[in-house]
Amino acid sequence: MTDCKDCKLNSPEEAKLAMERRADAIIDRVGTSRDVIIPLLQAIQQEFNYLPSDALNRVYERTDIDRAQMISVSSFYSQFRMVPYGKHTIKVCVGTACHVKGANNVYDAFKRELAIADDSITTDDQQYSIEKVACLGCCALAPVVQIDNNIYGHVQPGKVREVLDEFEEFCKNASQADGDDDNSNGPVQGEVRLGMENCCKASGTAEVYDAVVEACKALGINVKIKPISCVGACNQVPLIDVASPDGNIVRYPNIKPQEVKEILLHHFKPASRLRRLRNAILNQIDTFHTDQTWDNILFTSEKDRTQKINSFLKGQYRISTEGFGHLNPLDIDEYINFGGFEALKKVLAENNRQNVIDEVLKSGIRGRGGGGFPTGRKWQMVAANASDAKYVICNGDEGDPGAFMDRILLESYPLRVIEGMIIAAFAVGASEGVFYIRAEYPQAVIRIRKALDMCRQKGLLGNNICDSGFSFDIRVFEGAGAFVCGEETALIASIEGKRGFPHLRPPYPAQSGLFDKPTLINNVETLSQISYIIRKGADEYVKVGTEGSRGTKVFALAGKVNHGGLIEVPMGTTLRQIVEEIGGGIEGGEALKAVQTGGPSGGCIPAELCDAEVDFDALNKMGAIMGSGGLVVLSESSCMVDVARYFLNFTSEESCGKCTFCRVGIRRMLDILDKLVTGKAKMEDLDRLEELANSIKKSALCGLGKTAPNPVLSTLRYFRNEYEEHVNGICRTGSCKHMVKLEITDDCVGCTKCARSCPSEAIEYTPYKKHVINTDACTQCGLCIDECDYDAIKKTPSMERTPSKL
Amino acid sequence: MNITINNKTVEVSGQKPLIEELRQIGYDIPSLCYDANAKHQASCMVCMVMNVANGQMIPSCSTFPTEGMQIEVDSEEVLSMRRMSIELLLSDHRADCEAPCTIVCPSKIDAAQVLLHYDRGQMNEAFSLLSSVVDVNNIPCADCKAPCEKACRRGTIDKGVSIRQIMMEIASMKDAKSVDAHSQANLSKDVFASKLGRYTDAEKEWLKEVYSQPSKCLHCACEGRDKCKLRECATKAQIKSPRYGVSSRQVVKEQIHVKDNLYFEPAKCIRCGLCVYNSQDGFTFKHRGFDMQVVIPEDSKKNVDEKIADICPTGALFIQ
Repeated sequence: MTDCKDCKLNSPEEAKLAMERRADAIIDRVGTSRDVIIPLLQAIQQEFNYLPSDALNRVYERTDIDRAQMISVSSFYSQFRMVPYGKHTIKVCVGTACHVKGANNVYDAFKRELAIADDSITTDDQQYSIEKVACLGCCALAPVVQIDNNIYGHVQPGKVREVLDEFEEFCKNASQADGDDDNSNGPVQGEVRLGMENCCKASGTAEVYDAVVEACKALGINVKIKPISCVGACNQVPLIDVASPDGNIVRYPNIKPQEVKEILLHHFKPASRLRRLRNAILNQIDTFHTDQTWDNILFTSEKDRTQKINSFLKGQYRISTEGFGHLNPLDIDEYINFGGFEALKKVLAENNRQNVIDEVLKSGIRGRGGGGFPTGRKWQMVAANASDAKYVICNGDEGDPGAFMDRILLESYPLRVIEGMIIAAFAVGASEGVFYIRAEYPQAVIRIRKALDMCRQKGLLGNNICDSGFSFDIRVFEGAGAFVCGEETALIASIEGKRGFPHLRPPYPAQSGLFDKPTLINNVETLSQISYIIRKGADEYVKVGTEGSRGTKVFALAGKVNHGGLIEVPMGTTLRQIVEEIGGGIEGGEALKAVQTGGPSGGCIPAELCDAEVDFDALNKMGAIMGSGGLVVLSESSCMVDVARYFLNFTSEESCGKCTFCRVGIRRMLDILDKLVTGKAKMEDLDRLEELANSIKKSALCGLGKTAPNPVLSTLRYFRNEYEEHVNGICRTGSCKHMVKLEITDDCVGCTKCARSCPSEAIEYTPYKKHVINTDACTQCGLCIDECDYDAIKKTPSMERTPSKL
Repeated sequence: MNITINNKTVEVSGQKPLIEELRQIGYDIPSLCYDANAKHQASCMVCMVMNVANGQMIPSCSTFPTEGMQIEVDSEEVLSMRRMSIELLLSDHRADCEAPCTIVCPSKIDAAQVLLHYDRGQMNEAFSLLSSVVDVNNIPCADCKAPCEKACRRGTIDKGVSIRQIMMEIASMKDAKSVDAHSQANLSKDVFASKLGRYTDAEKEWLKEVYSQPSKCLHCACEGRDKCKLRECATKAQIKSPRYGVSSRQVVKEQIHVKDNLYFEPAKCIRCGLCVYNSQDGFTFKHRGFDMQVVIPEDSKKNVDEKIADICPTGALFIQ
């Protein structure tokens, strides 16, 4: 062989050396102690797209991390992978809201479209890898898919190609609209506000943003374009607010890029008369020639649309989300003008820790993470423990599929959460804080980091805060993908660089927590209510809510409801009010069947109990829990057995594996549910299921295990007849694929649309004749049902049996 | 301090975990994942007692008594929950306590043990063990219908081991020395015996390849059954056939050589973690939930001590 310089450089040894150099740089940056293993692996994966063994060998050589710890930790967290992924990663959300809207079919559709083999997750050309993720926290847009950092909402199996095309288009002209707006010259004529959260962007706000920028340029008007915090009305986006200099705000929900120009012209005068004239003509042409504009003007009046959104916002009460819709998440001056950090300054000026704790105690606020433990008592316990070091942790490891409150609070109100955390730290005497945020929320991590920097610059964080002599700083820790880490002792283990194994309490973290020091762990939402309590006083706070549950609760409203989104309501609001008034009723005019609260730890509350007032105690009584606040609305067409199995499957995958009842017991429950949804179960299996569920509830070691049977127990309690029907081979909703088959009725005109759309070639192409589905080949993806214009394809029972003897 | 046990107030030191206090008083509390002299974390839940205050079951191995604590230690409910925890563990424990051939032998020969000696070339031991049960000059195998060969698990893979023939071959040894050899089998009806279930097709292929010694015996009997606490607990709880069918993702009979005479068989492991917590860069957990396994990285094998087998509550870690 001849000498070739390039070949030499690319020899395996060279490549290995280069990789080691890159790994070394990461180790130098992140550290070498055992507790930095998770950030270290995250950095390595970010650099190489997976965890290459050569890089890991470098870690063994240069750090205190050994092989046992590496295997233990890297295999525990779902974020880490040992094999390289394709260039782009497609994450299909299988959270509750997405599940009930058919996420699994979407996953299958992507695999088919990209021709990914059954046992593989990556395309042959290494372009795409695909995975299911627990929840992307965009439940109102279900089913949701994320490709790299782009989020796509309402993805139906038939739209998969479209989504991929759109993504490829995006890659080609990767110019992003995100970032700071730079205003051109001239006086500012007003403000246009748009939500720029990930979920908003996914539903077209990014395009609207572009349109606003473009229109302003074309019209020569100078308005401030301001990205704002989440309004919560996820069902009405893209949504813009136009604020005129006189303070008037007009809200435009569901707008399209084509309408932007018209709206702006309505509010602002273009630069010159000539330009104005030209624009008026151009605009008229636009209006008449794009059917999209016609569509909206003709069929929904502006008033109509605004009304809808007003009913969504009525009945809500803002504490955690105070200033929604006009606060820029990352404008610290604006936040301060709005009353931000007043509470902190008040607390520091008074300089009396006990007063702060007393105020929080008096407010009666209970932890929003799920358990509902009185926050003031927790603070008292930590404050009472003398120690040279104490920690405050903000628990942002919101892992419930079907919940996205914490994500929105972190992304939209980062400064409020930080303020609450600093006050908490002062009250308990902590000097170090940790933000634990799950890695699936990259935007939240970025915003919190930025917000922390701003606070440091303003002297609100760091040494000697506001000259009070109190010092406190906060770092960010990114969770690596484990639901159990929402449990406080598991969360601590994970920060310490261990598997997320919970440990038995006592000792409570308040006594011995992070690095064995007294530690206060509060949920994001809890901390976001603190500044209000201090600023307005506990007396004002207790006016909101019910006797046992004070204040407001933020819910993520999703599932089969017309207007999903993030809502904040006073404790004591009924579920029916939430579903009917705020949520605008059930999708497609169906009847309400149940509301699932509290995610995998919660339960299903049947429609007849939905008039009960929602607070911690009422929900517990009904066999559900408040949880962190996911509300998934289920309609007549939701199968309760399928929902129960869905949650149990989730907890069995997320179980840490430490104790017998959770590790094996939940698996055995799942075995029975698998038999139920495939029509193989017997009546006595229901009793066994119940026995196992009750035993696990009593005997599992931690909160995850103890609450895991709730979805099954509550559905058994309220919908036992449905379980019995499944024993007899009937699933009335058609959700359990083994019990139904697709059939084409006599309404078929032979248009061949179904045959052409069928991805598994289960329908023979027979023009002008009634088509027939080959049940063996059919995967029940439902594409043909969507395609059929004559409503001629129906799900029918396939295995109904005569009721077995009881 | 005073605590209430089964409605009786008892004084305890408060310095030791509940299980130690209870055992000292005379209660027989079973446990698997607990070892007084080793690092441990609550896992098996076999030692649970009920906290009367909230009706919750708590592991007595990891709970320290507190003043005024009220517990129930042997109520019907507690016993049935303990029983369930054992049954759940057994449903993820793919192993035979005793070999089928030994169980069915009408002449009470521990055929499995004899075959083990035979395959290891320990002919004197094989001969001595056989001759301790039967008259080698007039061996009953000659006229036996050989239920052992019908029960042989090898038969479900390819062809059962020719047990009778091997027994006769050993019996006819001329120059065998008498040595100390004894059977470990415990076939009493009162003693629990775990049953393996069926091999998967993949396992059959794998077993065929790995177990290719002279006799082709799969050595079904568990080599750690003497010290097995799981078997002991199941026996005490009077479990005959566990309620939950065995389903495990562990490969059956996979025996990993760790170091010297120490072997590790994952299919018998109950994931209690004693070996993990008590070795430095040695045994470790992998994955999570039902798929969680205990593994030993190749490069870490040198870091473990043979003595670790003593704290394993099952036959998963054993000395050959």
